[in-house]
Amino acid sequence: MSALTTVPKPKRRRRSIIARVGWPRFLQEIGMLAPAVLLMTAFLITPFLLSFWTAMTNQPLVPRPTPVRFVGLNNFLRILNDDLFWTSLWNVTRFTLWILPVQCGLAFLTALILNQKIPFRNVFRGMFFLPAITSMVVVCVIWGTLFQYPTGPLNHIVVALSGGTIQPIDWLGDPNWAMFSLVLLSAWQAYGFQMIIYLAGMQGIPDELYDAARIDGAGRWGRFWHVTMPGLRPTHVFVLVITTIQAFKLYTQVAILTQGGPKSSTETVVHYMVRAGFEEQKLGYASAVSVILFLIVLVIALVQRRLMRRFDV
Amino acid sequence: MGNRLLKALAATTALMALATAADAKTVVRMMHQGDPGWVALYGKVAERFEAANPDVDIELIYAPHDAYNEKFSSAVMSRQLPDIMELDAPFLANYVWSGYLKPIKSYIDQDLLDDMTASNVAQGTYPIDKELYAIGLTDSSVVLYGNKKYLEQIGARIPTSVDDAWTRAEFEDYLGKLAKVDGVKWPIDTFRGYGIKTEWVTYAYQPILNSFGCDLIDRTTWKAEGTLDSQPCVDALGMMQTWVKNGWVVPMSSGTNQFYADGEPAALAWGGHWFYAEAAAKLKDDVVVMPLPKFGDKSASPDGTWIWAITSQSEHPDVAGKFLSFLLKDKDYRDYAVSQSAYPGLKSFAAQSPLYAEGGPMAVAFEQASKAAVPRPPHPAYPTITSAFMQAVDQIFNGEDAQKTLTAAARKIDEDIADNDGYPPFDGN
Repeated sequence: MSALTTVPKPKRRRRSIIARVGWPRFLQEIGMLAPAVLLMTAFLITPFLLSFWTAMTNQPLVPRPTPVRFVGLNNFLRILNDDLFWTSLWNVTRFTLWILPVQCGLAFLTALILNQKIPFRNVFRGMFFLPAITSMVVVCVIWGTLFQYPTGPLNHIVVALSGGTIQPIDWLGDPNWAMFSLVLLSAWQAYGFQMIIYLAGMQGIPDELYDAARIDGAGRWGRFWHVTMPGLRPTHVFVLVITTIQAFKLYTQVAILTQGGPKSSTETVVHYMVRAGFEEQKLGYASAVSVILFLIVLVIALVQRRLMRRFDV
Repeated sequence: MGNRLLKALAATTALMALATAADAKTVVRMMHQGDPGWVALYGKVAERFEAANPDVDIELIYAPHDAYNEKFSSAVMSRQLPDIMELDAPFLANYVWSGYLKPIKSYIDQDLLDDMTASNVAQGTYPIDKELYAIGLTDSSVVLYGNKKYLEQIGARIPTSVDDAWTRAEFEDYLGKLAKVDGVKWPIDTFRGYGIKTEWVTYAYQPILNSFGCDLIDRTTWKAEGTLDSQPCVDALGMMQTWVKNGWVVPMSSGTNQFYADGEPAALAWGGHWFYAEAAAKLKDDVVVMPLPKFGDKSASPDGTWIWAITSQSEHPDVAGKFLSFLLKDKDYRDYAVSQSAYPGLKSFAAQSPLYAEGGPMAVAFEQASKAAVPRPPHPAYPTITSAFMQAVDQIFNGEDAQKTLTAAARKIDEDIADNDGYPPFDGN
């Protein structure tokens, strides 16, 4: 036995790729990589690096008679001194904290139900997935009608269910409600995607584990807590992380339904950036916002990697 | 097989030849906004023009109203400026300063130029070189619409001229009384339903600032600090904040039809001239048209509308001008404008618009224009000015402190002007 543990690992010798695969193969591989690398460089990496440079100038959106100047970190200082930027950052955080439980919870519950052997299972799966493949713009227009104040359908339901004790709510026009309303519609639109991921995760749990648990006398709850939940741990982490990153980029719903109002309660970082860049035509300033947003998302992504590694994904 | 290939090749060549023939036509691209009715109309006028000028091809490019400037910027960036563009008058200074437009006088029929009203000339003129850069069929105004039924119920005095417009005290007294009238859900609709990111906000509320004796920006020093954040402006927006707080104003999410919707829930409407057509269609003689109230010492009303210009990159400005002249004289264009209660900007068109004639229902709007119109600031920083103001109004209507909000807005405007070195020569250099 001890012999097995003392066998030394074969030493990795560093050999160049060319030596390993030979010239023809190497060139062939480079050739295959080239289109992707070129396109990525042209449309992703270069603009990305350019935006760092633009962020330090007063570059306008469209050419102007005044010269473009290097302004150093001026744009960044201005952004960090702008209350509205902090409001928008807080708003997306708020949105994220709300949407995580609502959207992921909804996705998890529906996945649990649709993972049972119920009749017409696939039909239901398709139906629940429908909103996810509907354009967000269309969803927004429909929900905009549902949200109408004071006589929209949603308000009729609220008033009827509460027996008239709750007054109609100005869903999108009341600063206290607007963000929550966006959470509702966003969660409804997007939960189908997370549901599919959960379903896949659930089907990845081997049946033998359930059988073993059953033999050990575990009931429904026991099996859920001790087999399903641990088996879904990596799925949970993945779903939480992608939902968070998506939530930080909240824009479409805001642009269509609230334009950042009322009272900036739905202003988001991306909307703030678009407003600065396109409406006020300050491209340099908007680039600086995008750099900051990039840093924020980068931090989230790093935390994600850390978590994923811990959970052995 | 080879035979078929040959035939296909021949057909393709023939098609390409045809396409080249089509290219030989002079193409004039026109960018515009507007409701579906207008869009259809421009299409018809273009067809008629093409029939009369077979060598010209008019290409219409539609861009939606609220995103028009963004769309236009994209066109500039991709070097795809149209030949003709519709533009909102207050943005003219920005476009001319940036070098997008050509002086238009030499391309437009002389009889049309002579036909322009003073306010039409004013909205199309760039203040630096005093040249005319745009021409329109129309101008615009905002008036106070009232529901006669409700006004009689509270015994309100009905002003018929700008000179006897309601004072602030009268106006607020009526708002309070109307709030208690049966059937009135909101005493006034200021059309918050248009949204918070729409030119309407600056267009319709700037007169309130002007009437209070302040402005969006000082029009000689071009500084917003000290003007937009001055006490009169704070008072003006504070007053509107109180109206909203009292529940007197139709909220944003209730649409823009509460003045004439079933049950007529809004008693007054602070509405554009275009609103007359829809309101009168429903309420008939119950619509009373009044001048905007006088909050301080003087009356003020807005002006400026969507007008036509020729871009500096146009290769065929003469054809573009010919088409514009054709459009402005087109009978259907004018008839449709009349049906939309359009506000005349050409004298000959005024004669065709009984609505605005002496004794007509909208006569007071015409009177307002001559006595009280204050254009929006003709300065290249206007995109930032209006964006900052819209944002401030949304904050204040939802309960934010007016002084704090306006101070931030003024600083933002001045920062933009400083960033652009004062937009020379607007800085006096």
